[in-house]
Amino acid sequence: MSSAPGLRVEGVCFDYGGAGVLQNVRFRLAEGEFATLLGPSGCGKSTLLRLIAGLEQPLTGSVEWHGLPIEGPSIERSVVFQDYALFPWLDIRDNVALAARKAEPALKRSEARERASELLSRVGLAEAARKYPFELSGGMRQRGALARSLATGAQVLLLDEPFGALDPLNRARLQDLLLDVWQSASPRKTFLFVTHDIDEALYLGDRIIVLGAAPGHVIADRRIAFERPRPRAELFSDQRFIALREQIAGAMSAETLAVIEAAT
Amino acid sequence: MSDNATVGSAKLEPRAENFARRPPAPLWTRLTGAEAPILFLLLLGAWYLVTALLPLAPNSLLPSPERVLIALKESLPELLRGTWSSFLILVPGYLAAAILGVAGGLLVGTVGWLGRAFVPFARVVAPVPPTVYIPYAIAVLPTFQLSAIFVVFIGAFWPIFVSSIAGAHSLDGRHRDNARILGIEGGEFRWRIVLPASLPHIFSGMAVGLALSFVLLTVGELFGANAGLGRFVQYYADFADYPRMVAGILYTGLVTYLAMSALDALKRRLLFWVR
Repeated sequence: MSSAPGLRVEGVCFDYGGAGVLQNVRFRLAEGEFATLLGPSGCGKSTLLRLIAGLEQPLTGSVEWHGLPIEGPSIERSVVFQDYALFPWLDIRDNVALAARKAEPALKRSEARERASELLSRVGLAEAARKYPFELSGGMRQRGALARSLATGAQVLLLDEPFGALDPLNRARLQDLLLDVWQSASPRKTFLFVTHDIDEALYLGDRIIVLGAAPGHVIADRRIAFERPRPRAELFSDQRFIALREQIAGAMSAETLAVIEAAT
Repeated sequence: MSDNATVGSAKLEPRAENFARRPPAPLWTRLTGAEAPILFLLLLGAWYLVTALLPLAPNSLLPSPERVLIALKESLPELLRGTWSSFLILVPGYLAAAILGVAGGLLVGTVGWLGRAFVPFARVVAPVPPTVYIPYAIAVLPTFQLSAIFVVFIGAFWPIFVSSIAGAHSLDGRHRDNARILGIEGGEFRWRIVLPASLPHIFSGMAVGLALSFVLLTVGELFGANAGLGRFVQYYADFADYPRMVAGILYTGLVTYLAMSALDALKRRLLFWVR
């Protein structure tokens, strides 16, 4: 495993209106790693992502990037939310161009638009560049949001259930697009992908971090060592994959049972 | 047996047939879109009948439609000059109110301490009927025109200011997060994010402000103008020239309607992205 000084989450606790959301969460991500963060709804995984983005500050503990504490949002770390990532009053190209100009203020408007058009072709949205978010399907909007994240030049992409609202076919297409974007970048960017779908987590990641709920804490942290590319049909019928899936599902339901028992 | 067969075959008949047998829909449900013109014609007809059939005095307060139409035609040049003179008061007052109201409202709505200072103040001052400032404005400002502009400004300012604050306060948390992630802050944040996101609120404030501007304009002109729409109505009322007075009222209504429609068209143009 590479030991590049990437992202460090150390003993993080967070609390929202008196209710514990995260408790003593710790893990490290190497630079260029594709990690998935799996957990049931309400386990604080989105909150953890917001802490890493710098949108919130931990109560105790620290979140560091390259050894420096994260004190606020930065264009170095981009977030793709489930929906509503794009500003509805700008067309897709201008949404992406806005991000490009924030990353590189010297860029002229026309140059930023040109770069936006290139990125939109990259994510398969060349035809829709001049459309507004309300004119696009959920999948197209998420392609646009991905293009915007690429336009920021961010080295860290934090993805908060970005494909959660998509139909299965679109979801699979976008997963493959995301993998292609990650694999073709040099040097590779660090991806942290939040999901509550165990298959999605295992298909995408090099590494899976599983959170338990109430309050959120790490219950498992595994390498996913399947070679890429990973054709879905082969992967999902691979005995090692099935065993890993069982293990993680087992850990999650044991955790849920323990929480229920503790409560009664 | 044969009865049963008929019933059975009737059930299998195509649907269109079944619909055709329904009683026709009531008249008022088939008039969609025509209601407003019909009401307008009915009122015009009622007006005509009242003036034609009732034994009204020769110069009654309700002149017949023909006489009003003739008066309107005759005084059209004067009404157009009056419109121009009114707009010289309305446009500067309303534009100043829109610019200062939106800029001030967005600033007060996004800067914490400004909000804490101004929002309670606005709650107290905004509901004061703007007409109470008229005598004060006339006394303090050097010309009638300036005092009328000031009164229009005050009337339009508060609704625009208050609705801009409300717009800034209702900024969607997701837009705020996206802006922070992209590093959009300060003036750029207000101009590129808060302003467009607040436009629905701002436009409702601008519509209230525009309606109030017309009220205050005509009220203001009753006091000291020598031309203008409100002045026209007041002048001919003083001379008991009721056809011209009614023509002036109708014409003022038309101008107000056109101004409101223009604002509405601007709103639809700028807010195309709001579904």
